[in-house]
Amino acid sequence: MARNTATWLQPMTLLLMAITYAAVEVASDPDGIPSAFGLIFGAVAFPVAWVIGRVLTRGVPPSAWVVGRFLTGGVVSSSSCRALPRWVTGVLCLLLIGPVLMEPLLRSWTGQGLPLELQMVYGLRNFGIGLAALAAWPLYLRLSGVVSLFLMLFVAAMGDQKPIPWFLAAYAVVGSLWLMLAHTQRFGQVEPTTAATTRIARLMEQTRLWVPWRELALVMGLLVATVVVWWLGPRQTVLTLWELVPTSGGTGATDVYARQGVGDGPEEVAGDNARAAGMVETDKLIEDNKNALIDLVNDMYGPPHRPPNEQERMVAGGRADIIAFHGRLPENRRPSRHFDTSRRGPPPKRKLESLHARALFEVEGRTPLHIRQMVFERYDAGQRRWVEASRPTVKSIEPIGGDWMQIRTIETTQPWYCENERHRFKLAEPDNNLIPTPPLLQRFRIHRVDRADYYCWAYDGVLAFVGRQRLPPGIVIHTDCRTVDPARLPEHAYWRQLPMEAEALTALREVPDPWRTDLERLAYSWVGEESPGWPQITAILDRLRNEYTLDPSATPPAEHPAPVLWFLQESRRGPDYLFATAAALLLRSLGYATRVCLGYYADPDAYDRHTGHTPVRAADLHTWSEVMLRDGQWLVVEPTPGYEVLAPRLPWTERVYALLRAGFRWAADHPVLLTVLVGVGITAVLLRRRLIDSLLVLHWQLMPAASWQRMVLRCLRLMERRCRWCGHARAPSQTLTRWLGSLREVTPEDGPRLSLFICIAEQAAYAPHLPAPLPLPQLRTLCRQTLHAWSWSRLRRRIPERNPL
Amino acid sequence: MNAISTSAGVGETSPPAEKAVVQRLRHVLNNALRGKPQVIEYVLACLLARGHILLEDKPGLGKTTLAKALATAVGGRFARIQCTPDLLPGDITGFNIFNQKTREFEFQPGPVFADVLLVDEINRTTPRTQSALLEAMAERQVTVDNVRYPLSETFFVMATQNPIEHHGTYPLPEAQLDRFAMKLSIGYPDRQSERDLLASAIGTCNCSPEVAEQVLQREQLHRLQEQVAHIHVAPSVQDYLIDLAERTRNHPRISLGLSPRGLLIWQRVAQAWALLQHRTFVTPDDVQAVAQPVLLVRLIIDSDPPAVLQEIISTVPVPIHSS
Repeated sequence: MARNTATWLQPMTLLLMAITYAAVEVASDPDGIPSAFGLIFGAVAFPVAWVIGRVLTRGVPPSAWVVGRFLTGGVVSSSSCRALPRWVTGVLCLLLIGPVLMEPLLRSWTGQGLPLELQMVYGLRNFGIGLAALAAWPLYLRLSGVVSLFLMLFVAAMGDQKPIPWFLAAYAVVGSLWLMLAHTQRFGQVEPTTAATTRIARLMEQTRLWVPWRELALVMGLLVATVVVWWLGPRQTVLTLWELVPTSGGTGATDVYARQGVGDGPEEVAGDNARAAGMVETDKLIEDNKNALIDLVNDMYGPPHRPPNEQERMVAGGRADIIAFHGRLPENRRPSRHFDTSRRGPPPKRKLESLHARALFEVEGRTPLHIRQMVFERYDAGQRRWVEASRPTVKSIEPIGGDWMQIRTIETTQPWYCENERHRFKLAEPDNNLIPTPPLLQRFRIHRVDRADYYCWAYDGVLAFVGRQRLPPGIVIHTDCRTVDPARLPEHAYWRQLPMEAEALTALREVPDPWRTDLERLAYSWVGEESPGWPQITAILDRLRNEYTLDPSATPPAEHPAPVLWFLQESRRGPDYLFATAAALLLRSLGYATRVCLGYYADPDAYDRHTGHTPVRAADLHTWSEVMLRDGQWLVVEPTPGYEVLAPRLPWTERVYALLRAGFRWAADHPVLLTVLVGVGITAVLLRRRLIDSLLVLHWQLMPAASWQRMVLRCLRLMERRCRWCGHARAPSQTLTRWLGSLREVTPEDGPRLSLFICIAEQAAYAPHLPAPLPLPQLRTLCRQTLHAWSWSRLRRRIPERNPL
Repeated sequence: MNAISTSAGVGETSPPAEKAVVQRLRHVLNNALRGKPQVIEYVLACLLARGHILLEDKPGLGKTTLAKALATAVGGRFARIQCTPDLLPGDITGFNIFNQKTREFEFQPGPVFADVLLVDEINRTTPRTQSALLEAMAERQVTVDNVRYPLSETFFVMATQNPIEHHGTYPLPEAQLDRFAMKLSIGYPDRQSERDLLASAIGTCNCSPEVAEQVLQREQLHRLQEQVAHIHVAPSVQDYLIDLAERTRNHPRISLGLSPRGLLIWQRVAQAWALLQHRTFVTPDDVQAVAQPVLLVRLIIDSDPPAVLQEIISTVPVPIHSS
């Protein structure tokens, strides 16, 4: 049984660490879904750890524990086992600090990174896997238990996902078994002999006191307490455990690298002694005479504010917390971290400088993003211009609480809609009352504006503020939009060829008659045999993006009757509005309802990593097309090269599938290269051992050893590895003489050289204090000749299977 | 062949004079006991390791011949004790006898003061007498009437036992067996050796083979024995010895494992074996080569001792790359 205990202990340790690993992965993700990288890493790391553990412990006798030591009560140390190689310590350290070392590279290459606490947790996780691989050594066995326990405490404190309690329960069960096995292992793996039975029996009675009841009770108590507090107690109690873990400060809502610090970190907050007006949402209102959104109302109907020259509609502030300030107030029109009206407040004498806006507004959230400002539906061929769309009559804005406004509901059951995308728009110096409206808007929010009658539709899909000429500066607008995967859109999702069409929709499918023939011919030639729906739309867009050049200076001649045809057939280059116009008209000629929008394009390349925002400037003005869907939503289609549409945040399965699809596509486009790569790969796999052997021999030749002994022993290792890979491994109990001597019997002509090598190898291994038996160059030549004489092919060819080494 | 491959002597680090002495000694003993080179090697190793041998074998296989040849070869005095149940300790160690002329007690040394002592059928004498001899073997001195008398520096005992007859015997206890360095069995010679033996007996009145010649002085032997003690044993080889010892202590079929004294003896015999191979360092081959005779005398193995020892040797890993 003792022998079986040791056999089970390492797999049990790996299982314990695997449960911990899975729990950490679940707790690290807000949605409780492990990342693809995490799954792949785990799938690779644990088998590798298992193999490495077996390799390092190979040769350790199963019964390496001494009965005598045990009976005398001495600590059973690993000194009776084979010593660990020195490089193990370095590898463990690397595993521990690896995530911290990789973080700068990760942020630089991918623009994404991990908060500090996750870096620490992942480092501990990797460290724990390394320790679990070395579970055959008692010290590492116990360390792995401690590390896994700490990680589970972290999971219990941080994670509130549904699977967490299950992981805790599984850990408790497996951990208990692990503790029992670890304790049993201390008894050694000895079948007691007759002479020692009495003493062992006596000692067994004493070992009842050796059961680690306290530690076991402590572990179980901690886990149970954590689960109970999480289940029943207030959140704050659980969060106190969080104080044990260093955090990166800040909130994840504003900075993806910051998590649950003590209060907010980099985000601008309203302090009690705010001395500047920033782009913040606050209940601290600074009294001034600037263009404001909130009107201070005196409860006793006292003297009104000095009204501004322009009477803009405002929101009633009620009993607001007013900060009186009658001086010139510095303004901050820059987002986030640069200016912080912090809790402590600046020193009184500090003079604050205004920070002027660098953009029209700042976008926080994923980009690229198309932000509508104007919509055009009908194209006037005579005037060669788009006509603004009319204001929609139907108003579908409903307050849903918390200052949120719900737009018409998008059918969430449709399979082509993906999860919502949230953005924040921080307006610096707006000069109109249009609210930046991204596509597929589902709901939005402006702080303290909780009535739907403050809003209206300037166009279908473009919001505006009622009763104001301009939005106040520094206003922050939250938006939640759906995202769509166009590839999932079926043909019937598009508004095409309906028998009964509203008059409004007619304009959306109108193609100027003089150009209809040319546009239809061109469109149908481009789409070819593509099926209706997204494939046809993609064909049009791809053609425009790939074969036409964006050139803002390439404007059509003033006298040309058909600028679009000039663009499509003659110049093949032009500004973005020609791309948009061409796409819209081509799609209309295929029967799709389209329109053209003017607005701003939040470019991902303009993302400011320091502030975490994407500035949108006047130069980002852009024109694009949109296709109408059956449910009344507008799908952004981007025909201009260099501009992209925000793709939905796909689940990892979809991303993997998309990756595989892209891979297959690449393979289909590069068959020759793929064949060559596959051939090379298969050859490398089949000949991997020979390749590795050749590389190792080359390394031995090129890298001189520190001494002649090391040179000879390295050569010996090469020989040993080569024999093992040829299927003639040296038995662990086989001496050098017997092992190499058997090779000598097979090839007598190499006998003298091999005999000499054996003598020298023995001297190198067992008498390193003696001087080199031959001059170094001769020694090296001897080793090289031995390696050459016993090459891969010779070993395979000359040594028959029945000849045991 | 190039110069490298023809470099003979690489790896052999013993001085040539020593090699020649050992070779001559080997030759002389092989002449005395034909057809048993392995036994001769073990005997030489035991001699150089300052150990003692227990020969368990049938009568007439050459034990006395070997002992005599060995004594002559090393220039020492040979003595023989035939153990019987009435043998007294004084018959081995010697005793004080009153000299009428000088009117003083004079010590008459016993056969234990020889250089090479053959003790026949040691298991036939009483435990008391056995103890006296074994004490002399361990301490290399005898105490008679409170006076200590040191034995020869090259004192060497070859004790014999008959493996067949057990009636009226006093088997040596394990603690006493541990004082022997190794246990050997000569066995019958092969056919060719017996033919040579018969041929050599023709023309001589004495059926016993001719007495060997002296090869080296006792002082030379003592120097060789000191040299053995300085043979290098690498830490990896020592670990290997300890691993083997631990294996014997934990083996289910071994009732009594190897003691630390046995471990020391094993190391010393391995050193002697390395010297016989003309090396100044011990290899695992030396350890394995002397394992059987060294372990068989001191381990209590339930059944099939050679197989058990072979299993131990074949399961304990050998260090190839020194630490």
